[in-house]
Amino acid sequence: MGGAMTRGERQNLVKGLAFISPWIIGFAVFGLYPILASLYYSFCDYDVLNKPAFIGTLNYQDMVHDSVFWKSMYNTAYFALFSIPLGMALALIIAVGLNQKIMARSVFRTAYFLPSIVPLVGVSMIWIWLFNGGGLVDHGLSWLGLPSPGWLTDEHWVKPTLVLSGVWQVGGTIVLFLAALQDVPKSLYESAQIDGASAPVQLRHITIPMISPVIYFNLVMGIIGSLQEFVRPFVMLGGPGPNRSALFYAINLYQNAFQYLNMGYACAMAWVLFVVIILLTWGVTVLSRKHVHYGGEG
Amino acid sequence: MLLIMPGCGDDRPTHTPDGRVIVRYWEKWTGFEAEAMRAVVDDFNASQDRIFVKMLSVSGVDQKLLLSTAGGNPPDVAGVWTHTINVFAEKGALTPLDSYTEQAGISRENYIPAIYDQCTHRGFLWALPTTPATLALHWNKTLFEEAGLDPDTPPRSIEEFERFAERLTIVELDRDGERVRVRFDELTDAEKQAKNFSIIQLGHTPKFPGWWLELWGFWFDGRLWDGDSQITVDTQANVEAYRWYGSYPERFGRRNLDTFGASFGNFASPQDPFLSGQVAMVIQGEWMYNFIDQFAPQLSWGAAPFPAMHPDPAGEVTVLESDVLVIPRGARHPDEAFEFIRYVNTQAALEKLNLGQRKFSPLAQVSEDFIRRHPNPAIKVFMDLAASQNARPWPTLPIWNEYKDEIRIASDRIYAGDTTVEQALADVRDRVQHKLDRALRRWDAVEDQRLAEWGAR
Amino acid sequence: MRWTSKLLIHAVLLFGALVFIVPMLWMLVTALKPIDQAMTSPPSWTPHRWVLTEGGETLTVGLDKMPNDTTPDSLVSVGCAYRWLIEIQGEPVPVRFTDGDGPGEAATLNIAVDYHIQAQIDGDWLPAKVQDPLAALAAQDPVSVVVIDADGYTYRKTVKPDQLRRTFDQSKQDLRASFGQSQAMAVPAGSLARSPIDWDDRLELAHVQVEQRQVRAGALSKHIALRWDNFPKAVSAMERFPDYLRNTLVLCVLTVIGTVISSTLVAYGFSRIDWPGRDKMFLVVLATMMIPFPVVMVPLFSMFKEFGWIGTLKPLWVPTFFAGAFNVFLLRQFFRTIPKDLSESARIDGCSEIRIFWQIILPLAKPAITVVALFQFMGTWNDFLGPLIYLTDQKDFTLALGLQFFQSQHGGTQWHYLMAASALVVLPIIVLFFFAQRTFIEGISMTGLKA
Repeated sequence: MGGAMTRGERQNLVKGLAFISPWIIGFAVFGLYPILASLYYSFCDYDVLNKPAFIGTLNYQDMVHDSVFWKSMYNTAYFALFSIPLGMALALIIAVGLNQKIMARSVFRTAYFLPSIVPLVGVSMIWIWLFNGGGLVDHGLSWLGLPSPGWLTDEHWVKPTLVLSGVWQVGGTIVLFLAALQDVPKSLYESAQIDGASAPVQLRHITIPMISPVIYFNLVMGIIGSLQEFVRPFVMLGGPGPNRSALFYAINLYQNAFQYLNMGYACAMAWVLFVVIILLTWGVTVLSRKHVHYGGEG
Repeated sequence: MLLIMPGCGDDRPTHTPDGRVIVRYWEKWTGFEAEAMRAVVDDFNASQDRIFVKMLSVSGVDQKLLLSTAGGNPPDVAGVWTHTINVFAEKGALTPLDSYTEQAGISRENYIPAIYDQCTHRGFLWALPTTPATLALHWNKTLFEEAGLDPDTPPRSIEEFERFAERLTIVELDRDGERVRVRFDELTDAEKQAKNFSIIQLGHTPKFPGWWLELWGFWFDGRLWDGDSQITVDTQANVEAYRWYGSYPERFGRRNLDTFGASFGNFASPQDPFLSGQVAMVIQGEWMYNFIDQFAPQLSWGAAPFPAMHPDPAGEVTVLESDVLVIPRGARHPDEAFEFIRYVNTQAALEKLNLGQRKFSPLAQVSEDFIRRHPNPAIKVFMDLAASQNARPWPTLPIWNEYKDEIRIASDRIYAGDTTVEQALADVRDRVQHKLDRALRRWDAVEDQRLAEWGAR
Repeated sequence: MRWTSKLLIHAVLLFGALVFIVPMLWMLVTALKPIDQAMTSPPSWTPHRWVLTEGGETLTVGLDKMPNDTTPDSLVSVGCAYRWLIEIQGEPVPVRFTDGDGPGEAATLNIAVDYHIQAQIDGDWLPAKVQDPLAALAAQDPVSVVVIDADGYTYRKTVKPDQLRRTFDQSKQDLRASFGQSQAMAVPAGSLARSPIDWDDRLELAHVQVEQRQVRAGALSKHIALRWDNFPKAVSAMERFPDYLRNTLVLCVLTVIGTVISSTLVAYGFSRIDWPGRDKMFLVVLATMMIPFPVVMVPLFSMFKEFGWIGTLKPLWVPTFFAGAFNVFLLRQFFRTIPKDLSESARIDGCSEIRIFWQIILPLAKPAITVVALFQFMGTWNDFLGPLIYLTDQKDFTLALGLQFFQSQHGGTQWHYLMAASALVVLPIIVLFFFAQRTFIEGISMTGLKA
């Protein structure tokens, strides 16, 4: 915007900037500054009590050699890889079910939606109680004649348990999918039926393409969210869990920052997380250009 | 519209409406433990007209204390643990108390020596104790009787302990097409080998309650460091300890133990495995009595020193720690704060506090009345343990948090049979030694400055 | 065939809905149980009590479950709780035995009773410490006492004897209160009365003794009993629940106000005014949605530390006055659907931009604003990591943090209270949902569509 502005334009610019000034200040103070400070601290030895001391790339070097760091990466990736597709698939199935001509749809919708608004700390409490050794879930399993694994005590079961508790809260996604499904023109299905397309074919070729923007949106949100997973593992396991099986990235970061006071190292971790999120989002966006179908009723 | 908050510090009042100095006191306790301390605080407030102590429960008091000290707004008194003193002191977050205690005539002789010593670090005194704790074996007398053991004779050595533990373990298995219940030591060798049984009752499991997994070496003469710069987690004694630890899944079957463990109720409930008679012997501190009293008052139990691998006539082994009071660096009213600490450290106040919290007094001198009135019938066992030569503190390492986590991970690996004991402990040593070296280098850089600061007071 | 597939869909949906709802029901059921029934096997969906009717007297007793194959005449071992009471000035007072566990053969018994002194100050009876309490109660002259007021402050006062009274400690809670006193006495064995108490009460009352008693199975009956008083008990076990609730509500109100004011202003600037570079700037707004909190957590912490805000609620609400990207985005989308002509004609009439914003756009944007406010409310109510990092004193905690604090306390927490406390944190949100169901659903659809 190099050229000269008209008076009106200049006035508008001033007005516009005035209106968005809260955001500008907020962004500078609570966004830009912390990000840059974080970058600086990541090259320092910093424990909040004493002044940060510059140590070059030592934090990053330590990170590469820190098996705990890699473990937390692995845990987080595991969690994301299972919880996102599982949650979306389940949400889609339920949404398709709810989109049929059924009785008491709003009652069903409420039932599926309710868990998703339960505060996370409350969810954690309910789940510790449900999956506690000898708890309700174990009883249900033994009633079916199945053995009960150590849901929250066996390192191999901790993450699946956490994934399950995440899936329990897919209500928001269900509602989103349902809203998107209701926007799919009925005529598409009618003509498909005339062509003799089976239900799975309709799902594959009509439903999914038509709601692909919502799928994309959920995917991005799911990635960002699951990379930051903190409350459930933190509260349900009270820490890293057996053999660090619940040491997710954000928990590792929190522990380094606020329990061990390795703030510099924590900032280095924060930056790696930031870069990973940007890369993943970018990757998904590139993929989506090919597959996401915008348009329809516009 | 946009109110930019000025960098206003803290707006808490420093004086009460009637002009008394407010001493802010952060404590970690909640529930009845907090109430017991509150009663002492109220007594102090009622005993004089100059100082008013305001007690607040704070979560994660150790981290919060460091952060508030860094922010220049610490409380005047804080209740932390002996094992946090070294880190706090080295980070420059505490006020040394030597000149205060000297003036007040308080010295090492007044206390159980091992407790007083834990309040010192690098030659300075940093804290005074409030409520100490030791660990002991708790056993279920009824289960002993059922097993044909003398209910009043606890095991005296690890070997005996293991014999008892196997005797006290009851398993269920198919024998000649019939489902039978037998004691573990009555199993045939082939049955022990096959481990095809389910556990009904367990003599002991070192994984329960699992709060001191990193300290098992103490009962095997193991040390976690050399007191200077070397991590010694992989010495023969510690290997022996964790071999013992790993022998449990080996003997009873990991799957069997896990299945049995999954049926354990919550600690603070009648379904706690010790309280409900699922586990016959358990290591616990003197607070266990509170839970017995609350949830299983009819339980017939005893407490005795946890047996050591090589019993030492000079004294039984235990872990000794204590809650302590400290004055953070930069506290606004350090003199008044010490006045309060000094009051808490009088015999009457400490006994009142420890009767309320059902612990024991850290003082060398204890009134007859204290033991008589103490609700815990076994309190003397814990007091004697504290006075033992082999009452050991947690290692005073700046990286103890990380170290502890590492040993716990290693013990999980050993338990799961993922690796050899030697390998698991060697991994711990490598990781922790690296961190310790870094931490020591950091200390070297500030040592002179710190010592000068402390000495100047 | 159509109806079979329809039935199948209904059955599957119903089953799924049950699975989704059961965890919350189980929380509620547990919240209404006594601790003994929290972990019974098999699990029980009906909180109940066992009542013993024997010799014209009824009493709640402790029993895990009725053993198999009992006839009305077979004996069952049940837990019974009781106290020994002595009558002092017409009031039954629980006693403790200073030697031994209870009355034996001896004709006189050494007992003690525990009590507190209260002083009447400005009409309120406050706990008081007195030098020689029994003498003071009997004295004629004014005595010097120290009292504690509701805020925990202690004061020295001089009061007349008729402003002093003593209350005997009936519960464990009473026993632990400050300035407790006890009086030892030797009494004839006959002056004590054994008084049975409800099994549930044994954990709360002072000086309770328990015993196993063999009783006829026929004398026992099972009644459904919902322990609603678990809720007040859980609240008092959490110690500072009222503070948690107040802090949470304060934060909710402040953050909702902050968000609504700042986000509408900013969204207005991004949608209703044409200024050069606007849309490029908006891309920056969208990009900031990508910044995860953990990334900025450490520098924010040290910044707030410099401000002196650690241990206050400020870090949790001040930033909301500076417009979050997500809300700006939502509102902008909505503002753009409002026809341009509306503001144009107002501008021609000489309205200032603020007036257009305030009088024309805001009233039209109510549905979108409601959504933003609702989501902010939920976000603040649920927030855990922020309070975990920034808050120190228990009195400053929010409900979410207080609940976790309650659960993580040394020695663990009792399930029935934990579930009651969880229900108290969860239910307001559920209730809110039923009142604002449409806003919820619309809001969620708004966030996803047109993404």
